[in-house]
Amino acid sequence: MEFPAVRALDGVSIAFESGEVHGIVGENGAGKSTLMKILSGVQHPTSGNILIDGQPVSLSGVREALRRGIAMIHQELNLVDELTVAENVYLGREITKGGVLDRAKMIEATDKTLAEIHASFPASIKVGGLSIASKQLVEIAKAVAVDASILIMDEPTAVLSDPEADSLFELIARLKARGTTILYISHRLTEVCAICDRITVLRDGAWIATVPAKQANPAELAGLMVGRDLGDFYPPKIPSPNAGPILEIDNICGASFSVRPGEILGLAGLVGAGRTELAEAIVGARPHSGGEIRLSGTRIKIRSTKEAMKHGIAYVSEDRKALGLHLSLNAIQNTTLANLNAYGKVVPNRTTERSSTETWKKEFDIRVGDLDAPVISMSGGNQQKIAIAKWLETKPKVLILDEPTRGVDVGAKREMYNLILRLATEGMACIVISSELPEIIGLCHRAIIMREGKVMGELKDEQLSEEAVMRLAAGVLAA
Amino acid sequence: MKKSNLLAEYGALVALILLFVINVATRGGNFLQIENLRNLVSQNAAVGVIAVGMTLVIIAGGIDLSVGSLTAMCGAVSILVINKFAASGMNPNLAIMLASLGAIAIGALAGLFNGIVVAYGRVAAFVVTLGGLAGFRSIALVLGNGGEIRSQSPALQDFGFGGMAIPFAKDAGGGPVLFYWSAIVFVAIALIGGFLLNRTRFGRYIIAVGANPRASEYSAINIQTVRLAVYTLLGALVGLASVLVAARMNSVGTGSVGLYYELDAIAAVVIGGTSLRGGKGRIWGTVVGVLLLTLISNMITAYHIDTNWQGLVRGIVILVAVLIQRGKKEDE
Repeated sequence: MEFPAVRALDGVSIAFESGEVHGIVGENGAGKSTLMKILSGVQHPTSGNILIDGQPVSLSGVREALRRGIAMIHQELNLVDELTVAENVYLGREITKGGVLDRAKMIEATDKTLAEIHASFPASIKVGGLSIASKQLVEIAKAVAVDASILIMDEPTAVLSDPEADSLFELIARLKARGTTILYISHRLTEVCAICDRITVLRDGAWIATVPAKQANPAELAGLMVGRDLGDFYPPKIPSPNAGPILEIDNICGASFSVRPGEILGLAGLVGAGRTELAEAIVGARPHSGGEIRLSGTRIKIRSTKEAMKHGIAYVSEDRKALGLHLSLNAIQNTTLANLNAYGKVVPNRTTERSSTETWKKEFDIRVGDLDAPVISMSGGNQQKIAIAKWLETKPKVLILDEPTRGVDVGAKREMYNLILRLATEGMACIVISSELPEIIGLCHRAIIMREGKVMGELKDEQLSEEAVMRLAAGVLAA
Repeated sequence: MKKSNLLAEYGALVALILLFVINVATRGGNFLQIENLRNLVSQNAAVGVIAVGMTLVIIAGGIDLSVGSLTAMCGAVSILVINKFAASGMNPNLAIMLASLGAIAIGALAGLFNGIVVAYGRVAAFVVTLGGLAGFRSIALVLGNGGEIRSQSPALQDFGFGGMAIPFAKDAGGGPVLFYWSAIVFVAIALIGGFLLNRTRFGRYIIAVGANPRASEYSAINIQTVRLAVYTLLGALVGLASVLVAARMNSVGTGSVGLYYELDAIAAVVIGGTSLRGGKGRIWGTVVGVLLLTLISNMITAYHIDTNWQGLVRGIVILVAVLIQRGKKEDE
């Protein structure tokens, strides 16, 4: 597949051995997704061959790839919520008896597959009620049910909590023992080093290196991915400010905390700890009752994101594609959308819209050739910068960033940290929601740890360690 | 830009030009005569005015099936008002003016009603306006006792056939060729609609809400207000269109006026390249769509083709337009 101006993949040759777990890493835009799409039959290469067991094959579609034993588990899971687990597993290849669906047989066979992968739910329940981790198991069950010999996983742990991720790793080990080849794409270098046999690094659509995982370490991989030395990953911390709190949250969704101007406050916890829900309640995007919000000591009511904006509280969503940006609109339209009022009550001035977007582009080093192109064509990191710029446009006093580095590559992550630090230095109160512990530790002055919707504790400065945060997040009370 | 993209972008325009070329080749281009061009623009001016509003509704992610019935209802009201005022001896032009404002207000109210149920009742626009399709027609029939309401004021028809003389153009008898008021209204509404969509804050919000309502909500846009506003605006335009129809016919047949306007308007929007999924569209395309549909029906008449074929030809044009658009999506 050739895109108008970009060759997404250029002359990449990789050999995958059967029964190995092969990690594939690279920055966003390095060509991982394109490679995987070609292998799973979604896209067709303009040149080159795919060989399975030495035989050249042509993967004309997903069905054909599946027939050759290649199954792909997408980041966005492809399941039908309204159907049962068994119906999902047999979707498109239903077992029939005399033209009628043989439900009993499908459920029985699916239950067997589920037992094989140690899933704890029955085949007869609807998928919609399952957790993300369980849904992922359904996807894996689909692949196991068709006896896939090659399983491609795209960022499987991005949506999992640590214990869930651990059980996924165990499952991967079992699948490997059965002889399944697993191609494992992830941004989390530590886990790639831990669970893979070999690791391939891609950069700018080209093959950079394939190294045995035993000899690899995350820092070295990160270096190969970006092709430059990253130096210290987190910027040096600035001292905690000692001004009084600007925003005080009192019993909103059962949580209470405050944040000071110039402070970077972390909201830590496992996925599903209720941090996003809390943030959405604060900015009025989610209805809630009771509690009190005080801004600079004055009680305020926020019933919509618009009111939050007027009070100077901005929220950058974790779900960039669905909630944070309008993918079909261009960079300028996205950047000015929340603050369009300032460009003209009735007719926005297009010249100033463009020039202030240009300013953000320079300021944040947003690498995009054409500000008039839909943002869907931009990389995750650049999209995130636009999403943040959109809210900085409104000149907030409090900025809530929900998983600001999710789906963002290593180089852009570091830029994001520098950006947050700069905003804090300029006096903005930054609340960072993150599921990555090193991020909380490396970036924040102080962290609130949440679990099941409740604040479990607060840690600051020297107290802030991965172990201490994890204890609170997992509900193990410190002595 | 790829060839297929060009076709998707300007397909309707290409088709329009093609029909003119066919006309030039076969009939020496009589459709290009000034009077025929004038007719082309004015013939379906009412549908055109509605289609401009429909474009905005569809870009905002909605649809309105009630516009045809609403045309009949607003038209009935306007003539009833004119007759009432004419009987009381009011200046006939003032009466027409007041009746037009009345029709626009009634249309806007009906649109507001549609909008409220869609935005706050969270009922699918298709269903809400299907209710309007049945309901507004029924009100129109009640107002007209199931038949035609005739205008008692000659001034109305004077307005319907009046207009501005096109400079330098002379008809067969040497008289001036009038650019009818209805055509002027259509052109003006299209220009205003284009400006509204592409240059105003409201237009940007329409596109944003249609492209991604939730992200718009998270961007501090009041999406309910935007939805309400586009339906109300469309309702007002339907009211305006109903006066154009009434003036042309000097009466409103409550059972027949506006029949299938919703289909014609939606067809013009789709042919013009606006996405039925919302978030993307253009007014000029809709205008070309209206002209294309009008030209097709005129050619079928002029070339003595059995007019019963007209529906099929339109159906094919709509399908081809949508297929070309779908091709564009896959390229992206």
